Amino acid sequence: MQCTYCEWRCELGDGSPGVCRMYVEEGGAIRERFPYRWSSCIPSRVESVPFYHAWPGSRCLVIGTAGCNFRCRYCSNSFVAKQDPAMIQDGMIELTPPQLIRKAKQLGCHSIVFNVNEPAVSLPSLLELAVEARAAGMPMGCLTNAYTTEESTELLGTVFSFFNIGLKGLSDAFNRDYIGIPSAEPVLRNIRRLAALGHVEVTTPVIESANDNELEEIARFLADVDPEIPWHVFRLLPEDEMKEARYPNIDAIAGALEKIRGYLPHVYFHNFVGSDWVNTLCPGCGATVIERFSLGCGGDRLRSFACRGNECPSCGRKIRLHGEKVPWNAGEVLP
Amino acid sequence: MSLAIIDAREWQRVFDLRTGAGVEERNPLLKMVMDIQARRPYPGDLDDAGNRWVTDTALDLIAGYDPSFVYLTYARQFFVGRYSVLTEREWACMVSSVFEEVNRFVARSGFTPVIVGTGGMIPFVDFIDVTRLDGLVLSTHWSARYAGLHDGSRRDLQGLAALPEIERIVPRHEFRSLFAECPGDASRMPEYLLAARPGYMFRTVGGAFRKVRRVPAPAYAIPLAAESGVASSITDIRRLVVESLRERKIALIVVEGLGMDDFPWPHQRCENGRGWFYYEPGDAQYLTLTTGRHQVFEYPTGYKYFDEDAEKKEYPLSGYFTSVPADTIASGLGVRSLAVGNRSMLMHMAPGADISIECFARNLFNQGTMAVIHRMGTI
Repeated sequence: MQCTYCEWRCELGDGSPGVCRMYVEEGGAIRERFPYRWSSCIPSRVESVPFYHAWPGSRCLVIGTAGCNFRCRYCSNSFVAKQDPAMIQDGMIELTPPQLIRKAKQLGCHSIVFNVNEPAVSLPSLLELAVEARAAGMPMGCLTNAYTTEESTELLGTVFSFFNIGLKGLSDAFNRDYIGIPSAEPVLRNIRRLAALGHVEVTTPVIESANDNELEEIARFLADVDPEIPWHVFRLLPEDEMKEARYPNIDAIAGALEKIRGYLPHVYFHNFVGSDWVNTLCPGCGATVIERFSLGCGGDRLRSFACRGNECPSCGRKIRLHGEKVPWNAGEVLP
Repeated sequence: MSLAIIDAREWQRVFDLRTGAGVEERNPLLKMVMDIQARRPYPGDLDDAGNRWVTDTALDLIAGYDPSFVYLTYARQFFVGRYSVLTEREWACMVSSVFEEVNRFVARSGFTPVIVGTGGMIPFVDFIDVTRLDGLVLSTHWSARYAGLHDGSRRDLQGLAALPEIERIVPRHEFRSLFAECPGDASRMPEYLLAARPGYMFRTVGGAFRKVRRVPAPAYAIPLAAESGVASSITDIRRLVVESLRERKIALIVVEGLGMDDFPWPHQRCENGRGWFYYEPGDAQYLTLTTGRHQVFEYPTGYKYFDEDAEKKEYPLSGYFTSVPADTIASGLGVRSLAVGNRSMLMHMAPGADISIECFARNLFNQGTMAVIHRMGTI
């Protein structure tokens, strides 16, 4: 039986769990192997995920599971995403969707964000969680590699209302060598689709001499989808199989991004401590409308929010925002 | 104003430590520190060279600043021990390696060492799963033995009491009584402090997911190697150091993950807590060491640290710290001081040295180094 969750479309017969090792075929249906088992369940600033244009200032519950359908050579979460999911279940937190929502409320969270690994590998659990979250009035967002089939992309659109999509690179050679997939074409297709369904931000880790030559092409693609898409360019943090790689040159990348802001205004450059390129400038008048502080992968944070609603206080231009500013301690805290 | 200098590899920025605002100031002291950071990138918490970086960086700083007091932390063996499968022989090699590294510092610097082990490590046995209680259990800042219960129900308390892996459940008022003379506000403590039996660790929401292999061993006493005197308690070490400083240059050296059984230097026994309570390696132990007073309420285990993380929180580069602790060992010495170590923000917060350089690593992710200059006027 062919799995329909991602573009690998794995054959799941004979007990094979597919590339992500999170689904099996059982009785003619696809069964999730480890439902309701979470590798992460931790309160975080939404800017840390990163989401810079969704519910600014809010506290989200970051969740994740295990397994992934990508094999990124630089994976920061390889201890969860690349391990055999069966081998790390003893460390997982087991909470049903209602229990998870309750914990989110006890932790004072405003939303739930799936991070750490790929949500498509745990979609049945997330579909159930979305029902509970909706009933509780909690928005859900995710980081995804968007290597999903068209069917499951639609499912993602029903679970989540805000997305940060990892667009790692464009060329087939890069995707084969660094990500372990034949092509980014499905990702590009799904960026267009998810941008139509909800709020989309995009993240691209930059590796010197591997994909830094594609920055402009990626930016042109995003501007064609929607010039207001926030784009997070990440300085690669050498991890996993690339632990010995050189840290990319910050000034060179920052220089390359400068001219892109002319047609894709919300370009951010971070994933290193103290970045100068994490503030939102009004595309109309250039005023700083949202100020942030970057702690690299230690988490970014909001410092000030000057927008009036979703407008620049100086010139009145609309600033792309999904949801309003939410005070950090605004969440209803359940006893 | 305390300055924070971030070195993210081939890229440096200077900030006001309290506000996080960028600072344009440049002066010879700042340049000296920035040059050292550029020359000494941090290899990583688990890297073979992690402890060598401490020695090399400290020696460079000593050459540039000529301090009388140095505070060092060597923590690589604690990180590796916690997250790696090690044979007894491999662990012995780790101990031998840090022994040689500390001795190298002592030989090269000429400082008189006062060396403290923060407590040994034992194999992780199992989790105590407290994620599905009615109340909320939190365990903070690398703690394994302790967790805090908020808003626990009667059912929660009955269930916890029945778990053989839990050594004790301590109401807040009882803990407050144990440390009645301690400064600080106990109201941030959870209603109950939970203490696990040796080898166990609480599985809580809010914890980081990495497979743990070893946890802190019971450490009612910790080892102290000091030729210059006696300290029977962790709270006495500060006095010992300050007295010794009248006659010679002193290096207070903290070696993480080593206890009475595997401390490689001749040592004396030092109380590391009170009654049933002992410190695990972390901020409370460090602050007790550097202030000479028990410090259990400043950032208590299991408190809701995230509630204090609003956008206006000061000290954005200092993790959960909301201020620079007062009356720490180096802050009032009146002599030049520096701190170096691979235990991140504890290095600029706990000793209060004029200058510190620390790794900027979070959850083992290596992002570079941070230097802090608390006092500019002494060079």
